[in-house]
Order: sequence, then C-alpha cells, then structure tokens
Amino acid sequence: MISRRALELATAVLTGTFGVAVVISSLDNGIGWSSAGVDAGTFPFLTGVIIVIGSLYNLVRGVLPAATLANVPIAITSLELRRLAGLFVPAAIFVAAIPLAGMYVASALYVFAVLAIPKYQSVPRALAMAGATALALYVVFERMFQVSLPHGALAAAFGF
Amino acid sequence: MDNLAELLHGFTIAVTAPHLLLMVIGVLLGILVGVLPGLGAPNGVSLLLPMTFGMQPVSAIILLSSMYWGALFGGSVTSILFNIPGEPSSVATTFDGYPMARDGRPTTALATAFGSAAFGALIGVILITFLASWVAQVALAFGPAEYFAVYFLAFASFVGMGGAAPIKTVVALAIGFAIAAIGIDTVSGSVRLTMGVDELVKGVSFVVAVMGLFGIGELLVAVEEEFHARAVSSKIDWREVFRAVGRLPRHGIALLRSAAIGCWMGITPGGPTAASFMSYGIARRFSRRGRYFGTGEVEGIISPETADHAAGTSALLPMLSLGIPGSATAAVMMGGLMIWGLNPGPMLFVDSKDFVWGLIASMYVGNIVAVALVLLTVPVFAALMRIPFVVIAPLIVIICVVGAYSVSNSYLDVVMMLGFGIVGYLFKKLFYPLAPLVLAIVIGDKAEDAFRQSMLISKGSLGIFFANKLVTCLIVAGIALLLLPLVLQLTRLWRKPAPSTDRTTAEEKVII
Repeated sequence: MISRRALELATAVLTGTFGVAVVISSLDNGIGWSSAGVDAGTFPFLTGVIIVIGSLYNLVRGVLPAATLANVPIAITSLELRRLAGLFVPAAIFVAAIPLAGMYVASALYVFAVLAIPKYQSVPRALAMAGATALALYVVFERMFQVSLPHGALAAAFGF
Repeated sequence: MDNLAELLHGFTIAVTAPHLLLMVIGVLLGILVGVLPGLGAPNGVSLLLPMTFGMQPVSAIILLSSMYWGALFGGSVTSILFNIPGEPSSVATTFDGYPMARDGRPTTALATAFGSAAFGALIGVILITFLASWVAQVALAFGPAEYFAVYFLAFASFVGMGGAAPIKTVVALAIGFAIAAIGIDTVSGSVRLTMGVDELVKGVSFVVAVMGLFGIGELLVAVEEEFHARAVSSKIDWREVFRAVGRLPRHGIALLRSAAIGCWMGITPGGPTAASFMSYGIARRFSRRGRYFGTGEVEGIISPETADHAAGTSALLPMLSLGIPGSATAAVMMGGLMIWGLNPGPMLFVDSKDFVWGLIASMYVGNIVAVALVLLTVPVFAALMRIPFVVIAPLIVIICVVGAYSVSNSYLDVVMMLGFGIVGYLFKKLFYPLAPLVLAIVIGDKAEDAFRQSMLISKGSLGIFFANKLVTCLIVAGIALLLLPLVLQLTRLWRKPAPSTDRTTAEEKVII
C-alpha cells in the first residue's frame, strides 16, 4: 500500500535529482555568453534550474497536508501493486534476457511464460502463440524490412 | 486560373491505370509501416527508394508520396488502438482516441480520425494548388527569430490552453527540454548531458520516449484498473464507419479551425507535431465540452488529426518550392528527386511542370485512395481490440521493446524505454501532463537552436523578437497565452475567495 503523499514525494525527488544532474552536467559545457554566442550549457542549465525549483515546490506541496491530497490518501493498494508487479517484473526479465537469448527467443519465452504460467491459456495454445510471435517478428523485420533484431549471445555461440 | 489549367493537366498525368496501381501499392505499404512499431514513413520511403531508380520521376514520386499518406493514416491506428503513437504528430490523437477505443467504440474513433484527416489533407492540397507562389514568399521571410517565435507560440498555446497544475506542467516541459538537449549540440558541436554514458551521444529518440511514456506507462495504469474484465463490443459494424464520417460535418467549425491551424503551421516551419498539439489545446479551450476532453471526445480526435494532415500536406510545399525539406520523410524524397535528375527549388516549377503538377494532382487522388483503403480496413483493425488483455499486454510490451530497439539498434534504448514507462506511470498517476513533455522532446532542440541563432544575429539583444510586425505578433500572442491561466486564476480568486477543493480533483481527472 502506497499513499498518494509518498508517491508525490518520490516523484518530486526523482524529478529533482534529474534536475540536479542536468545542472551539474551542463556546467561542463559552459553557461553564459562567449564569442560563439550563447554557450551550449546555458539552455540545459536553465531548464535544470527550473526542474529543481519546480520539484522543490511539488515536494513542499506533497509534505503539507493539502486538501487535494487528503481526498485520495491511498494511491496504490496492495492488490494493485501485485498486479503492477505481475506485468512489470516479467517485462523487465524479458528485456534483461535479450542480450543473452536474443529478441526472437526472449520474446517467445516471454509470451509463453506470461500466458501459460498463470494458466490464462492452455500450454499448447501458449506455445503456438509464442512461436507465432517470434515468427512474425522474424518475417516482418528481418525479411521484409531488413531491420536486424539482436540474435543474442547464445545464438552467436552456435554460429548464427 | 493558370494554376487550375496546370492542375487539370496534372490530373491527366496522375489518373492513369499504372499510376493508380502505384498509389494503391504505395498506400498499402504505407499503412503497413505506419502500423508497425519502430518503422515509420522515413523507413518505408528509404526502403522503396532504390526500386524507383528505374522509374519515371512522376511515377516514382507518386509511389513514394502515396506511401507517405498511407503511413500518416497508419500511424493514427496504433495511437487510437494501443496508445502507441507511430509518429510524433499522432501523439495528440491518443488523448481522446485511445479512451474512446477503450470505451468500446474503436470503429467510431478510427473512422472519425480518418475522416477528419482526409479533410485536413484536402484543405492542405487545395492550399498548395492556389497559394503556391504566395506561400513561398511567406516562408522565405522566416529567419531564426521567426522560427523561435512560432515554436514559442506552440509551447505557450499548450501551457496556456492546458489545465494541469501549473508547476507540474512547467516541470514536465523543462524535463522534456533537458531530454531534447541530450547528445550532440547542433550549434556548437559539443556533447551535452550524457552524464558519462557514451551511447547517449546520439541523443534520446522521441520514439523511445513515447513508447515508454504512452505504451508501457498506459499498460501499467490499465493493469492496475483491471479493465481486462471489460468486454469490448465484438460486432464489426460497417455502418458505424460511414455513420461516424457522416457525423463529421456537425463539427464543421472545429474542422475548419484545425485545418487553418494545420496549414499555417505547415507553411511556417512549425510542422505537423506542433500543429496537432496546438489544435488540440485550442479545441479544448473553446469547445463547450472542453471539460470532457481526454475521456474520448469526438472533437478531441478531429482537431489534432485534421491539423496534423493539413500541416503534413502543406509542408510538402517548402520542399517543392524552396528545396527545404520539412521532415525526415521529405528529406528522403528530396534525395530521390536529385537521384532522378531533378533540382528541387523554385526552378522546379519552371523546368519540370509535368512533375510538379502531376505530383499535386496525385495528392488529391492519392489521398482519396488512402482514405478508401484505410476505411475499408477499419473493421480489421477494430477487431484487434477484441483480443483479451492478458494476450494483448505482452504483445504491446514486445511491440514497444522492438520499436525502441529498431530506432538505432541500441539495447540502451530498450532499457531507457522501460524507464520511461515507469516515469509515464508515475506522471499519469499524479496528474503531471505528458503532452508538454513529449512536445518539448520533439521540438525542444529546434526551438533552442532558433533562439541561439537569433541571439547570434542580434549579438545578444532580445530586441530581435520585436524587430518586425510578424515576429512581434507571434511573440506577443505567445506571452498572452502563457499568462492566460494566471489571469483566469486571479479573476476566479478575486470573485470567489475560497475555491472548492473537490473541484480541483475533478478537474485533475480530465488532464492527460
């Protein structure tokens, strides 16, 4: 269970950190006016400052018990959190597996896993869908439009 | 009348059996690349280009431009059905198109989008036909200061017409600008904001950002709401396609206004993306049902689509008459022109009359072919909405992953896309507006370049933005729009000292 306030604070901290990173990073490019006109870092520096100030404002508003926040105290219930994880965690594992297994194998495994393990589809149907996904990707990208998707370290080891 | 005679001559070139066949092929291929993630009109046109080397220039440009129309229409399909905009200019279509489709009316949403898009394109072509020479003059008057003023107006109209918490809007906008600045700075050539990651030198592509923000982000919001229990009407209703198109004239004012915005932004270098956002923002402000925008309003689909296609079509004019490509696709086409032995620029209208007017005539016919084909395929696409959520969710994840990867064959892009997904979810959950963020990512660096170039010209004086009537009008209008929400808030406070709080939450819900 995550409260709206915690979520607001976390987001404000996230945007604020990004802003600080932008400010620090843009100082390397120089800010201000030089013989070549406005320096490269000026624009990012200003946007960074705006992000930091805005994030601080949002942070303070998040801490204060404002009326709008009080109306929706709970942003994400534990059930919703479980559902979110159910979608995001497999997706993250899928992305993490791409360098090793390659796009085709990883996406087939991913489709099979999310359909068959929670028993949304029968095993043969899930297998068929997984195979069809990989095949469709291959035909459309590799063959028709000649966009090469990653084959993965495993495939490379087998000489593909 | 000269133009009309030339146009009729053009029709005799465009409306021949082989050329009509080329249009059908081009449009179908275009719809395919438009619908497919990570592939857009630029990819499709580049891949087709080698096949056109042996063709007559007119036939070649007809094939390529038909593909462009097809891709423009195809891009709206994924925006509406899956909330994944295929092109930057279809981002604004997702705001109302996707809610309407999710609401069980995908056919209506698609048919409305295609109908209004066709109207916008038609107005754009008519404009090209009659105002070609005058328009070329207007575009010639544009210097960096005017460019910046147009971009400024686009941002301001969005901030002014939007309704989100002002500070959250500003933060979203600034983050977008910062993301746009990542990579090589086009003015000085120095590398910015890579934070030590060498791969970031190429910058962050808009496709990566929108796939995450809209595709994955929306998926996370959807899975939480458990809408997969919802049954979308499984009946394919052919009549609804025509009924939706038939209802369009009722929104005549919105259509005309959006077409006007689109044409203006297309001729001036604002481009289709800024046009669609601006049109959407203005429609929300002026529509009587503005409060319901974002929940599946018809005018929320009409406005961006009409402006997008009007701008996309009229943007071909600078390419033809000035030799300045307005978009990546136009740049590829211009490369084609040179390979075919033509010289883009003002002389094209004198040297290759057949080519120019054949192309303009083919725009009329090509768009009609495109609308017919795309309307015929609406039920097929609408049927996609019937696939159960548990099956479609992993497919959308794969689409986003493949799309993000194929932008520049980079694994880092895929990881960033997932990161954008989390940001999109958080922002949506907390009512940060996503539209200014995306708009800033897409045209942020162009606005910055224009600003810095004008500063170079004026040696650091802001006076350049008030140097002539055109630029002053644009800047003043922009500032007025920026201050509009502040003024409205002040007057509201002045009239009603204690604003009710639950109204704020109700308003928050409407915000994208």
